[in-house]
Amino acid sequence: MAEILFSSWGGEVVDNRGKEPQDFETVGKVSLPEYFQQDEEIKALIGWYGIVLRSAEVNVVDLCRTYMEEVQQQSCGKCFLCRIGTRVIADTLGRLCRGQGRPADLELIAGLAESISESSKCNIGQSGPLPLLHALEHFADDFAAAAGGAAVPAGKYRSRLTAPCMDACPIHLDIPTYVECIKEGKFQESLEVIRERLPLPGVVGRVCVRPCEEHCRRANLDEAISIKFLKRFVADYELDHGREPEYQVVPSAKTGKVAIVGAGPAGVTCAYHLARKGHQVTIYERLGEPGGMSAVGIPDYRLPRQILRHEVEMIQKLGVTIHYNTEVGKDVKLSQLEADFDAVFVAIGAHLSSSMRVEGEDAGYQGFIPGVKYLLDINSGIDPYPEGKKVVVVGGGNVAIDCVRCSFRIGKEDVNLVYRRTEKEMPADDVEIHDAKEEKVNFHFLTQPIKVLAENGKVVGLECIKMQLGEPDESGRRRPEPVEGSEFVIDCDIVVPAIGQTIDLSLLEGVDNVKTTRWHTIVVNEDTKQTENPKIFSAGDCETGPGALITACAGGRKAAFNIDKFINDEPLVATENDYFDKFFSQVKVYDPQEEIGFIGGRPRYQLKMLPPDTRKYTFDEVEQGFSPQEAMAEADRCLRCYRVATIAVG
Amino acid sequence: MVKLTIDGKEVKVPAGTTILAAAKSAGISIPTLCFHGRLDPIGSCRMCVVEIEGCAHPMAACTTPVVEGISVTTNSERLQRIRKDSLKLILVNHPLDCPICDKGGECLLQDLVYEFGIDRVEYQTPKPERSSQYATPLIRYWPDRCIMCLRCVTACREIKGIGAIDIKGAGYGSQVVVIDEDKCQSCGECLQVCPTGALTENLSRYKGRPWLVKRVPTTCTYCGCGCQLELNVEQNRVMAVTTKEGKGVNRGSLCVKGRFGYEFINSEERLTKPLIKKDGEFREASWDDALSLVAEKFKSIKEESGPDAIAGLSSARCTNEENYLFQKFMRAVIGTNNVDHCARL
Ligand SMILES: Cc1cc2nc3c(=O)[nH]c(=O)nc-3n(C[C@H](O)[C@H](O)[C@H](O)COP(=O)(O)OP(=O)(O)OC[C@H]3O[C@@H](n4cnc5c(N)ncnc54)[C@H](O)[C@@H]3O)c2cc1C
Ligand code: SF4
Ligand code: FES
Repeated sequence: MAEILFSSWGGEVVDNRGKEPQDFETVGKVSLPEYFQQDEEIKALIGWYGIVLRSAEVNVVDLCRTYMEEVQQQSCGKCFLCRIGTRVIADTLGRLCRGQGRPADLELIAGLAESISESSKCNIGQSGPLPLLHALEHFADDFAAAAGGAAVPAGKYRSRLTAPCMDACPIHLDIPTYVECIKEGKFQESLEVIRERLPLPGVVGRVCVRPCEEHCRRANLDEAISIKFLKRFVADYELDHGREPEYQVVPSAKTGKVAIVGAGPAGVTCAYHLARKGHQVTIYERLGEPGGMSAVGIPDYRLPRQILRHEVEMIQKLGVTIHYNTEVGKDVKLSQLEADFDAVFVAIGAHLSSSMRVEGEDAGYQGFIPGVKYLLDINSGIDPYPEGKKVVVVGGGNVAIDCVRCSFRIGKEDVNLVYRRTEKEMPADDVEIHDAKEEKVNFHFLTQPIKVLAENGKVVGLECIKMQLGEPDESGRRRPEPVEGSEFVIDCDIVVPAIGQTIDLSLLEGVDNVKTTRWHTIVVNEDTKQTENPKIFSAGDCETGPGALITACAGGRKAAFNIDKFINDEPLVATENDYFDKFFSQVKVYDPQEEIGFIGGRPRYQLKMLPPDTRKYTFDEVEQGFSPQEAMAEADRCLRCYRVATIAVG
Repeated sequence: MVKLTIDGKEVKVPAGTTILAAAKSAGISIPTLCFHGRLDPIGSCRMCVVEIEGCAHPMAACTTPVVEGISVTTNSERLQRIRKDSLKLILVNHPLDCPICDKGGECLLQDLVYEFGIDRVEYQTPKPERSSQYATPLIRYWPDRCIMCLRCVTACREIKGIGAIDIKGAGYGSQVVVIDEDKCQSCGECLQVCPTGALTENLSRYKGRPWLVKRVPTTCTYCGCGCQLELNVEQNRVMAVTTKEGKGVNRGSLCVKGRFGYEFINSEERLTKPLIKKDGEFREASWDDALSLVAEKFKSIKEESGPDAIAGLSSARCTNEENYLFQKFMRAVIGTNNVDHCARL
């Protein structure tokens, strides 16, 4: 990796200027990618935590001017110092670069930069002038030369606005803005901001795995903003007031016919974006209702079905047709769709249960029910095995937790969960684990199933062995190892494996050039979602493996944009935004160690919940939403962590 | 209760109180510009920044709730520098047209610039391009004078629940614009809260200086609500209507009629005495004569054609009690159910 000449990123000053390369100190706080895109090197970065300089060719004065100009463009105008002060600084730097500067300018902008950074209302103003102060301190000679009239060569730059939450969100919702709208009581505007990208705010606002909240800067002070429930609040508010969204349709130059396989989150999000660009969309769905796993996997007490149906209905109003109970591969061939449509989007999810590789699982015992099937039945109002009363669910993810929590709700009496590592390693959401505990699920940690026991073809128990944690494996989690001689049996009449799902690829028969991996996922170009068959695109769980709703939606959205380009004969290539996403994922927008320098002391507002003893036996929604007052007060906690990055490229 | 110290003084306030309010309760004053008692804190001016021990960043006192045990400093060199910079940046382009500004003399910006002794501004940048013409026949907007404190936007949304105006655009070019023409009712709530002369009344422009007018408290006569207002009187003419923050049932708010419908008071055409038509011509009469005439006429109509030949129409400008009495009069005295009300039509 090409060496860094100077870095002030995150308070760590490394100055290698004038040193021999072998004496260069390394930079610990940031890893600056070498290339922005092919053939475009990154020579310097200026942004919220400082300056990183790789190439001596970069003129720091011009870099600062470009950056401060961008900061000014992104200033929201809602506080005096940032609105006017960054304009004054950008103008002054502009004069310096044109050779019209005065020595007094330097002191002037330094003082102003300090005032803006110390007192601005949000992070644009707080972080914006910070690297300028670093530059004035460490590159004083360059500034003095410019003020003395030395020529300042102009470089080539790229700038982008981001925020920690926004960057972490797979679909990159403009979270600070939608939260700010709520704070100001502009609920409809807030929804419009969300719907720019995501057509399922009510669904995602209930069950999202919320990577944004894990990257929320407010957590450095007290607790993360309740981003998910704020999204739910605006969606519910619209529904409760009998309003319907007004979607704008802006037809592309050329519009076409697109077939979508699967009405899950990926499929409907893709349909929504295509329809808004004027394309004619037809969805083929195997089941009798929309939503995919969010309808037949996620139980009603977490996501009431009518919310999902309503949001899909709204998408249908855009002219999207859905053929239910139509399985592609059986009822209609994929090759037929390929022939009949201009493009096909495959979003079939991951619906086959993975095997546990234990004795007896393939024997067809009554009472042995794969997790996905178990939930599908329950969500269709069927008790999968009325005879059984004692349940053991195997697995540590959200699917496993859904299986145990649903079991009480269909009248099962004794409910157990078996997981081979400890609670700490469970991939399930902490909140879900907590709620399941409150509902009195028996957790068996460090326990591995080894044999399904049966009598007369019916399950009677699950033989397990105790585990202990050994050395960390490649995922960084400590590998569980069996404790010899510790076998024991859990009596039960239902065993539900919920350790993962795989993808049923049988529909691909008869189409060319759609490659798959050894994990049974469909291979696509990550930037365009196109398979090697130019007409066929794919995203969602069938591309990534079992994942999260929002990731599936993000994939569907990206596919829609590229299908639109494909129909319009435009080249399918990564966009500047795609490259910035990759850039940010390496540079890291959120630093959990950052000292924010404010006082906190304002914990998040909690949702009211049904009490465990009541909720445990019903499918009624457990979490009750925010009131408008609570939502506004919660939104008021947001620090509006927008920040700008400018890179010098060449 | 939360305990904290402000400038070394121990203060105890209920949880949720802002630092600004806590300071005020202890008799410590912190300069503010965008803060307005009837609005949720806005946080746009940053005049109220204070330092909190252990925190690197100054924080706005108006938007920050108190936290147990903190120690707040409301004045320091650093805070003064920030406050002065905030004002100076406003002055980069705020016109110094105080001599012809209706707000001259009661302008918060003027007061603060005076208080901080800002006699020169070393910062420069050209004027922002502001195309906005937010104005109605009654309200005048002076974009150059607007400091974008956002009090008006907040009042329109929070007090009136309307949201007809909002901030649009980015950076230096952002401006206050009407986002929905149809929603604006010209109630003037915006100009009531404007700390500068950016929003003024179109009717009373250049008619009187604030320090010369006499403010006469009275009750609005337009409806039965009983809003409290102040007539701004100069040489026995009403120049404008203002309110006192938090006063009366209206707490300082008015509607378009109450705020702007005062010109009739000094109108030449206004009737101030009853008139009785005699020989085809109106002549001034006493109230006693006029009322007796009306009573006589009612009586004779009732005798000739029965009580149902008479109908009564009451007014929304009366109180509920007056309207009650009126229908009672029509039913019990005149003897008819023919009674109605203009607000019902
Ligand atoms: C029990 C459970 C709980 C979960 N909980 C959460 C959660 O809380 N939060 C979260 O973010 N994610 C959760 N997930 C994951 C989330 O539901 C999925 O990541 C998401 O639904 C994937 O969307 P998708 O559109 O790719 O696929 P799916 O939702 O699986 O949709 C695929 C659709 O394609 C249809 N289909 C498949 N094959 C064909 C065919 N041949 N012809 C026609 N139609 C076909 C299917 O019937 C289905 O409707 C959960 C998953 C499960 C199983
Ligand atoms: S505080 Fe607001 S802007 Fe900052 S990361 Fe959290 S949600 Fe995003
Ligand atoms: S009074 Fe606090 S920011 Fe304006």
